[in-house]
Amino acid sequence: MNDGSDRPVGRRKFLKTAGQGAAAVATAGVAGGGMHAAATKPSTGTREKNKVQYGMLIDLRRCIGCQACTVACKAEADVPMGVARSWVEYVEKGLYPNAGRTFLPRLCNHCSEPHCVRVCPTGATYERPQDGLIVIDQGVCIGCLYCAHACPYDMRFLNPVTRFADKCDMCIHRVSKGLVPSCVNTCQGRARIFGDVNDPNSEIHKLIAKNPVSVIRETYGTQPNVYYIGLDTTDENTKKPGQYVRVTTNKAKSPKRT
Amino acid sequence: MEQHLMWHWPVIGYLFLAGVGAGAIAVSGIVVLWGPAGEFRHRAALVARLGAYIGPLPALVGSALLIFELGRPYRALNLLTSNFWFMVLNPSPMNWGSWFILLFGVFTTVYALSFLPWRTLLGGEWGERLAARGERVRSPMAVVCVPLAIAMAIYTAILLAAIPARPLWHTPVLWLLFTVSAISTGLSAIILVQRFMFRKPGAVRGAVRREDPAFRVTEYYLVSMKVLLIIAELVVIGLFFMFAHMTINSANFAVQVLLPGGELATTFWVGVILVGLLMPAFIEGFYLLRTAVLGHEFEWPYVINVSAPIAILFGGLMLRYVIVVGGQITGPVGI
Ligand code: SF4
Ligand code: SF4
Ligand code: SF4
Repeated sequence: MNDGSDRPVGRRKFLKTAGQGAAAVATAGVAGGGMHAAATKPSTGTREKNKVQYGMLIDLRRCIGCQACTVACKAEADVPMGVARSWVEYVEKGLYPNAGRTFLPRLCNHCSEPHCVRVCPTGATYERPQDGLIVIDQGVCIGCLYCAHACPYDMRFLNPVTRFADKCDMCIHRVSKGLVPSCVNTCQGRARIFGDVNDPNSEIHKLIAKNPVSVIRETYGTQPNVYYIGLDTTDENTKKPGQYVRVTTNKAKSPKRT
Repeated sequence: MEQHLMWHWPVIGYLFLAGVGAGAIAVSGIVVLWGPAGEFRHRAALVARLGAYIGPLPALVGSALLIFELGRPYRALNLLTSNFWFMVLNPSPMNWGSWFILLFGVFTTVYALSFLPWRTLLGGEWGERLAARGERVRSPMAVVCVPLAIAMAIYTAILLAAIPARPLWHTPVLWLLFTVSAISTGLSAIILVQRFMFRKPGAVRGAVRREDPAFRVTEYYLVSMKVLLIIAELVVIGLFFMFAHMTINSANFAVQVLLPGGELATTFWVGVILVGLLMPAFIEGFYLLRTAVLGHEFEWPYVINVSAPIAILFGGLMLRYVIVVGGQITGPVGI
């Protein structure tokens, strides 16, 4: 996402934008960032248009950072202590009185060009042809964690119980029966929309078409299928001089965002 | 280090040992194919023999380390069988690498066996036959083993460099760095072992006594080669930093862990650069220049004789350590 396109938004502009209603506030972020990315649709590249591709849209304007999704995921997938498949990061930015906090729910992006699949030496990680979800065949995986290094989103981990690679599987056991993933089911703010992004009649397709959306780390070319409305791309490492930014990942193990 | 490291000592050790093995085989094979004739033939043969003995061991030990670290050793077979189940051509470097290791292990073992002193080991007709066969297959095996060894050395770097999400690894310089380091550590292993052997002159069959002029001259050439490799490695490390520095964003951030103030700076500058490269280069360079410029006999204290290759091997291990760990404690910047 750091293609040099996020320009600093001055305080004046920020205040002006803030006056234009809740939607604009969230889109501009607390102090800018991601404006350009939000204005253009993420590139679709080699994506096939005529197949089912499940994805998620997270409307950050509606997320309240309650972590209910994190807990639901933990319970649903029986994720062991110390690791997480899904979490919500807190991004605090700016100085009083222009300080604010935004939330960034994270999950596997079920990328259309997934690096994790490319590097897997056994073929254990693969894309399901029927719905485009990226899953791990636990009967084949050797737990080498090559995929975990390759994922630019740090979504994969070694499951301490099974000793195989693990990550969000978009609740395939639920979605294949027509239900929505557990995090979507539980979301308090109805910030998470799940569906087939290629189906023109689906809610997610319509919302993506209607709203400025962006994806995380688009420059890695992974073509994520998790979209965000109002994504703020500022990071502790890429903040403007003098800007205050603190990111709390709330992720189980790695204290740094990698 | 607070961060959870997904790849640790087993992987670091594996990359290092595979490099040493590949380097030793490359040196040995090159000596077999293009080694000196005439007066120094028996000395060259010893270098080739030691390289052949050293070669397969580290690579096999390293692979065993990895396989047992996985917890379910039998599953490692999936690396190979998956090509038949799912995809014949799996683009994963690790998949290619496991085939390389298999081939490397098989061919270098045969190559090493061809050097064994069968006549003394078995004796009789069989010993005679195996020894004759060994001598015959040596060169053809070297033709296969040298490219395989170089492929192995490059593979240890490509394994890491293939990953865009690890900016410290994702550099086009890494294969050169690891290959140069592999050859210099492999050569050091050969030099080290032969120095231990020369403690008791004539202990090994075909060994040459210390006083033999052939010993000094070969030693002189081997050490010169090693110093040249060290200089090459320093240049490549320079290129590594230059690449990272000239790259916008992630790689630039990542390389900070190695620069003064970074988490791995001490390990890198002391372990890799000072102990592993500069010190051996200066000490060996001093004795080399004394011979080259002043025409002294090429001779040096036994302590230095043994500690220089050990320092280079240590530096090689530390190089793998800082790269493997450094790559994991850094990552893409921005979201
Ligand atoms: S987010 Fe990571 S783990 Fe998920 S599909 Fe993309 S590359 Fe793979
Ligand atoms: S840990 Fe499993 S899924 Fe990941 S790359 Fe290795 S074999 Fe593939
Ligand atoms: S449950 Fe919904 S509102 Fe709560 S943190 Fe998760 S995405 Fe945000």
